[in-house]
Amino acid sequence: MLVIRRRPGQSVLIGDDIEIEIIESGPSRVKLGIRAPQSVPVMRGEVRQTRAENLAASRTLDAVAPGEIAAVLGAARL
Amino acid sequence: MTFTTAHFGRITVDPAAVVEFPEGLPGFEQCRRFLPLNHPAADGLVFLQSLESPGLCFLAVPVQTLRADYRIAMTAEDLDLLRLPEDRPPALGREVNALAILSLVEGQPPTANLRSPVVIHAATRRAVQAIRPDERYGCREPLVVEKTEALCW
Repeated sequence: MLVIRRRPGQSVLIGDDIEIEIIESGPSRVKLGIRAPQSVPVMRGEVRQTRAENLAASRTLDAVAPGEIAAVLGAARL
Repeated sequence: MTFTTAHFGRITVDPAAVVEFPEGLPGFEQCRRFLPLNHPAADGLVFLQSLESPGLCFLAVPVQTLRADYRIAMTAEDLDLLRLPEDRPPALGREVNALAILSLVEGQPPTANLRSPVVIHAATRRAVQAIRPDERYGCREPLVVEKTEALCW
């Protein structure tokens, strides 16, 4: 992993059209500004995990009908 | 107003009960409007039915059912999205309700996403899937009911 030290107001370029600017830096967090083309998805790291969980969870009712959920959860010893 | 769903057939939509996600949910950014449904055979569970995608319905449960002492934590951005004060966590059960989305994958024990509950502003019905800034709870917590009176099978 490339590690670069930056100060607020400075930026980092990735390729030709992605720019990450350090807007503000505090004791426990930094504020970033990200300029990227519409076609490049930009998301917080933890969003990716939630996204994957949501995609898996969205299939729950395809596997178990609403009327059978209680039985399935009961069998799992809720 | 009615809407035909994949799992519940034709349902009547009470506009006052509709929950609005201004930014959708991660993975389902285009799905903004959901209707919480109950099923007589699944007491204590909430079915979050999309009103834009007939086949999309999440199974959820109030977070307090799984963790009686659940402590809510939201980022300033999510609080702002729900137009809640940013200097304190909202009162769970009064200002907001929080639902954990359940995941039942065949061959695996069911899990609950307590890291990213769906937080619904009780007064405005605006909602966000609020990813906690901390890691107090996980995305795939095993189901252990602490408040059994809310879920009696």
